[in-house]
Amino acid sequence: MNHPTSRRPGELLFNLLVLIASLFLFWQAYAIAQFSSLSSSGALPLAATSIMVISACLVLIKTIRLPLEPHVRFIRHIFPPIIGIVMALILMFAVMLEPIGFILSAAIFLFIAMTFLHRKGWVVSLGLTLVSLALVYCVFRLIFKVILPEGIIPEREIMAVISHWFSANF
Amino acid sequence: MEALSFFAISWISPQLLALTALGTFLGIYVGAIPGLSVTMAVSILISFTFSWEVNNALCLMVGVYMGGVYGGSRTAILLNIPGAPSAIATALDGYPLAQKGLAGEAIGLSTVMSVIGGFVGIFVLAVAAPFVSDFAISFQPRDYMLLGVLGIMLVGSLSGNSLAKGVLAGSFGVLIGTVGLDPLTAEERFTFGVVELWNGINPVAVMIGLFGISEALTQLHFMHKASVKQVINRIIPKWKDVKRYLPLSLQSSSVGVIVGALPGTGGDIAALMAYDYAKRTTKNPEVEFGKGAKEGLVAPESANNAAVGGAYIPMLTLGIPGDAVTAVFIGALFIHGLNPGPLLMIEQPEIFWFTVGNLTLANIFILIFGLTGIRLFAKLVECPKGVLIPIIFLLSIVGAYSINNAITDVWWMLGFGVIGYFMKQYGYQVGPVILGVILSRLIDENWRRAILSEQGNIAGFFGEAFTSPLSCVLLATIVFIFISHTPLWTRWRKNKSSKS
Repeated sequence: MNHPTSRRPGELLFNLLVLIASLFLFWQAYAIAQFSSLSSSGALPLAATSIMVISACLVLIKTIRLPLEPHVRFIRHIFPPIIGIVMALILMFAVMLEPIGFILSAAIFLFIAMTFLHRKGWVVSLGLTLVSLALVYCVFRLIFKVILPEGIIPEREIMAVISHWFSANF
Repeated sequence: MEALSFFAISWISPQLLALTALGTFLGIYVGAIPGLSVTMAVSILISFTFSWEVNNALCLMVGVYMGGVYGGSRTAILLNIPGAPSAIATALDGYPLAQKGLAGEAIGLSTVMSVIGGFVGIFVLAVAAPFVSDFAISFQPRDYMLLGVLGIMLVGSLSGNSLAKGVLAGSFGVLIGTVGLDPLTAEERFTFGVVELWNGINPVAVMIGLFGISEALTQLHFMHKASVKQVINRIIPKWKDVKRYLPLSLQSSSVGVIVGALPGTGGDIAALMAYDYAKRTTKNPEVEFGKGAKEGLVAPESANNAAVGGAYIPMLTLGIPGDAVTAVFIGALFIHGLNPGPLLMIEQPEIFWFTVGNLTLANIFILIFGLTGIRLFAKLVECPKGVLIPIIFLLSIVGAYSINNAITDVWWMLGFGVIGYFMKQYGYQVGPVILGVILSRLIDENWRRAILSEQGNIAGFFGEAFTSPLSCVLLATIVFIFISHTPLWTRWRKNKSSKS
């Protein structure tokens, strides 16, 4: 094992939050069945959260002792703006998924994300969006019959028209 | 002779041959796509094959299962995203190999070793099924519990630079697995009064979040770096390599087939145990484990495919699923009017030998499809990150949504993605979390059964454990793994090596 010799920015806070969360979960685990019996429904949660609390304490103590890593900044190396922006885009996609449907929300997400990350102009991004969306749709919706939110596009009616057209002409 | 004729049914029928080939091909790609699980694909297959003739349906499903277990390794090697839980251990050394431009060699070697593992599993299924099932029957709840804890202890091998962080992550996984209504008493655990949490948190959502979203977010740090051009000038592994790693492959396959035969465990645990075994037994690896050691690729790949044959043993002989996919298979057999269990071997031996023959055939197709089309597949990695990463996010979201057709799973997946991202930034491994989630139920139920059988007496529990050879071995292994990861042991080893 290679033991770290320095701590990264925000690591102390993260480990502290882990400890607080572990303590909260321990309290919640205790509330399930207290220490009533070894075979109660709370036995494993209590054991797991106890180990979490002990481990979190050990990790925190170790982290406190380490010096801060030089030349590393939280906003540049741990959580740069690109991460925040992409997280916001994913969040937007998830929020829109059910109200406007898979096809439209995925198209918007892919187009914005590819334009922002690939940086080859909007025409290229649009082409890539359409190709990748068509592939994903075929695999999930048509081959694996995965039900995806329809939203505002009348997908089933369109598919019915296409299959009717195929059966009439071929 | 009769057995041989049943064995050869799918080999001589063009239709069954084609269905097995199609199933294996689909399985490889299903296994390789993060978010698409073999369990999900087999479940969906049941929905439109229930009206088929039983042999046709079985051929397609067996192919998907075998192919899917193998296929998970491809994205583990190329993208560091295991396509299936059984490929978690493969990513540990497979991805570093790809980063060195050895993706073709890694995939070629993993294919051959998977096939060897597959054959070992099938051989054991065919020859030793009654003996192994007898062995699995003798397992007590206490042994299952110890086996689960042993799985968690393996986090030591996966915990990177800190055992405490590994144990913390593993315990966190166990905790996630306990969320929802208690399966024995229906008491609420960590539900905070939310009805949606009664069914717990879906492990697939956790897996996609921790492996799909967090990895893709981490990759955003390296947008300015050119993607590694994979050197795929050699796919067929060197004979020298095959010969060299064959003993390890056979040993790992033995681990895989035994673990696979234990109900409740599957290829994921088999692969992790085999990885740990390889790490401990390989004296002087050419490359350090975790940095592209071929041993770290050979062991899990042999084990997870061997586990398929192992998982079939309790399924066909006892009617007990070895893992999630075999659970779905049992459902499929019931739909087709078959009754998997001890009587199946006596009343319908043709089904048993047909399955053995079909698994063998699917394994051969893995070799064919596995060693072809890799260049096309590896183009994924050469694909610009600005295009690939949004597609990974899209697949992850669609995969999470398709679990229950519910947005709740997407939120869980995103939440775990963010947690996983920060865990990675601060030196926590996400693998132990998944391991904990998978093993949680096994530990919980068997601990409680074991302790109830001792009337709540912990001393009686350990007393019984020490009188059973099997429990003793499991207990001793757990203690050894724990001690071997403490600073005290490391210091002792250092002192010993400096003296020698």
